[in-house]
Amino acid sequence: MLSRKDKLFFMSLLPLSLSLLAILIISIAVIGIRSIDSISFFGSKLYTMNVWDPEAEVYGLLAPIAGSIVTSVIAILTASFFSIPLTITIAEYLKGSTKNIVSSIVELMGGLPTIIYAVWASQYLVPFLKQYVMDPLYSYLSFIPLFSCKPITGFSVLAAGISIGISITPYVTALILEAYQSIPSIYREACYGIGATRYESIKILLSLARPAIIAALVLGFARSLGETTIAVATIGNSMNLNLCLFSPSYTVSALIASQFANAYLYPYAESVLYAGMLILVIISILLSLYGSTTIIRWRSRVIV
Amino acid sequence: MYNWRKLIDKLFTYMVIAVSIVAISPVIHLIITVLLNGTMVIVKTGINFFISLPPTPFSKDFGGIAPAIVGSLLMTFISLPITIVLGLFAAILTTEFPKNTISIVIDTIAKSLASIPTIAVSMIVYTIIVVPMRSFSALAGSIALTIVSLPYAYTYFSTTLRSVPFIYREAAFSIAMSRWSTVLKILIPVVRRGIVTAILMTLVRILGETAALLFTAGRFRNGVTISPLAPADAIPLLIFDFVLSPYEIWRQVAWGASALLLLSYMVIFFTVKFLVKEVKL
Amino acid sequence: MNLLAVEMKNVNVYIGNRHILKDVTLKIPSNTVFVIMGPSGSGKTTLLRVINRLIDLIEDARVEGYVKVLGFDIMKSDPYELRKYIGMVFQIPNPFPHLTIYENIAIAAKINGVAKDKKELDNIVRWALEKAMLWDEVRNRLHDYPHQLSGGQRQRLCLARALAMKPKLLLLDEPTANIDPVNARKLEEAIVSLKDEVTVIMVTHSPYQAARVADYVAVLYDGKVVEQGPAQQLFLRPSTEITQKLLRGEM
Repeated sequence: MLSRKDKLFFMSLLPLSLSLLAILIISIAVIGIRSIDSISFFGSKLYTMNVWDPEAEVYGLLAPIAGSIVTSVIAILTASFFSIPLTITIAEYLKGSTKNIVSSIVELMGGLPTIIYAVWASQYLVPFLKQYVMDPLYSYLSFIPLFSCKPITGFSVLAAGISIGISITPYVTALILEAYQSIPSIYREACYGIGATRYESIKILLSLARPAIIAALVLGFARSLGETTIAVATIGNSMNLNLCLFSPSYTVSALIASQFANAYLYPYAESVLYAGMLILVIISILLSLYGSTTIIRWRSRVIV
Repeated sequence: MYNWRKLIDKLFTYMVIAVSIVAISPVIHLIITVLLNGTMVIVKTGINFFISLPPTPFSKDFGGIAPAIVGSLLMTFISLPITIVLGLFAAILTTEFPKNTISIVIDTIAKSLASIPTIAVSMIVYTIIVVPMRSFSALAGSIALTIVSLPYAYTYFSTTLRSVPFIYREAAFSIAMSRWSTVLKILIPVVRRGIVTAILMTLVRILGETAALLFTAGRFRNGVTISPLAPADAIPLLIFDFVLSPYEIWRQVAWGASALLLLSYMVIFFTVKFLVKEVKL
Repeated sequence: MNLLAVEMKNVNVYIGNRHILKDVTLKIPSNTVFVIMGPSGSGKTTLLRVINRLIDLIEDARVEGYVKVLGFDIMKSDPYELRKYIGMVFQIPNPFPHLTIYENIAIAAKINGVAKDKKELDNIVRWALEKAMLWDEVRNRLHDYPHQLSGGQRQRLCLARALAMKPKLLLLDEPTANIDPVNARKLEEAIVSLKDEVTVIMVTHSPYQAARVADYVAVLYDGKVVEQGPAQQLFLRPSTEITQKLLRGEM
């Protein structure tokens, strides 16, 4: 029930609030319109072929799209490997000031500009991964297709995946931690009530939080898909399409970051890049809506 | 049987803690290396780091990053107030009318916007601002930064405003306060710590954003300008270009700029953590 | 002015699709203490919030019927104007946490244009605190913050804040529910002493408290008024089973 003054108040807030709506509409419209040229010219081949030849006016975005997906899968595996234990440590094992310090460090990590991760990853993490992860894997396990090529510089899909994974760990941890800590204490008490050990009760609580954890990983995946600076700095930037994780490649955003500046020189290049981004934007929006509604639904079910 | 369970419990504890230590060690290594490498460059260069132009690939001196510093400040100065006003208005609307359809739509849109890759924002602003104006500009950069940080600002503000207990809203209305005074004199002051935090976190987003500037701000490094319509540089943009360059001297400058960015971030972060006074409820 | 302070005819309130108040008809005389009793969930709190239209804050609430408060037909008048004449104290003490004791009271006076200058404001603050029986305890700490007060003191501060508006009508929503018995007694005393100046409408679930302060009583059950009348009559000869149960503390 709104009085006249309430309606006036609502109307006074409305125009500026609608800026968010306007931005979304304009964004999707611009990317969509700029993609039309290349999509209508190349058709589905644009997404199923793998070439980048501006001189010949042939383009296919398969490699960067595959690169984006593989990189993000590695990133989310890395992030879940780190963030679930981190959540348990913060929520279960730490108390008082240590808990404060550790959760502050995670918070600090979360807000760190990604360009700083990019600098550090390209100068320290990639050489480290080459020497201690890629080289040994290649020496001993090269019969597995994923590890079948010799790491040359280290800049590769694997390096990008792990670097992005580290950068999204705090984000994913924050989401999982929030879900884990919002489980009402009655469940925890019930676990101890049936004589469960710490480990057993954590297992039960984690399985209770599983939908929220999966949603958090989906949100993390969406975020890694769009990550640009770290990808450009670690993936090696080359139009490669093969199974080996040690070879350089592209993600869609990395391709755009490296090619967009000169794309205006060629008739379709810009539009092709917009078409690549269109796919990415659609996937990201859908995944993030799925992730956030799942968490909301889970919360309303668990917290009575 | 009982001991077996106890053993698993112990092993699990050790493993979880070990992985957690591994998980936070990268950031500690990162902070140390960036600060060490970077401050060395800054100390060697001295005040020149802040007031000189960047070096050419073959110069002997490091030079400085004055255009990037000025550009970052200029674009922040334009973008931060706009972002705060837009984000705050939207957050007030959705917290004051939580069940209204428009509020629900805005809330959902904020989530979608936050998931759009920031480089996409750069491409969008390139099409609608840079191309029609026939020039990269600090203005285009600022608009891109606003679009990128707005959904975050909105989320920070709305989470904060929603944390005001309903009883204070009722109290304000019961003494016949108007809607706007309730917001300005009660709701916002009660959670002023959260509001200041939200503003500073938005500032951090704006200062550290790289990809949104790639095709919008331009990379004008041959001088210092404060015209919003002229091309500008920014600290993250300079780091991005220089760290990936083949020239050792540029990579050194990138370390210095990274340390400066990291330090500013940490100063803001710890200000938020320790200094902002909380209202006791 | 011995008119009716509040008159309700066939008032129905819905929140979402729940029917909260059903055909409520009430007459509340001026300058009395009118107590609304009923078990929890009976709609007492909602009834109070209809009177000053605080119910507007609930977006999916709908009010039907005729409500006249202090001569205003409230459905047709501006709620922000209406609220200037109506003070309210809530179940949970809610002084503004970011304002001092002094400011908490002053803000209510200022909004309603009760005070013209600093001196008048000082006087009103003192007057309100005295009326709320809090002055002696806080006279030397007016610039402390509410969190430095005890729960009972905070609730009396809220009463003082409501009084500083110089209201004609005072709504009290179980004001002693969350404070200790000593403070509750002080608050009751303050309330009774007020009725020369204002009409007091108080919601409570305690029959003893009702008996101590009430001139008139209405009993609410499941959104309906089951009985209303002068307090003595109702306490001595309750005419419905619900009232009898309520008085025996069985509800």
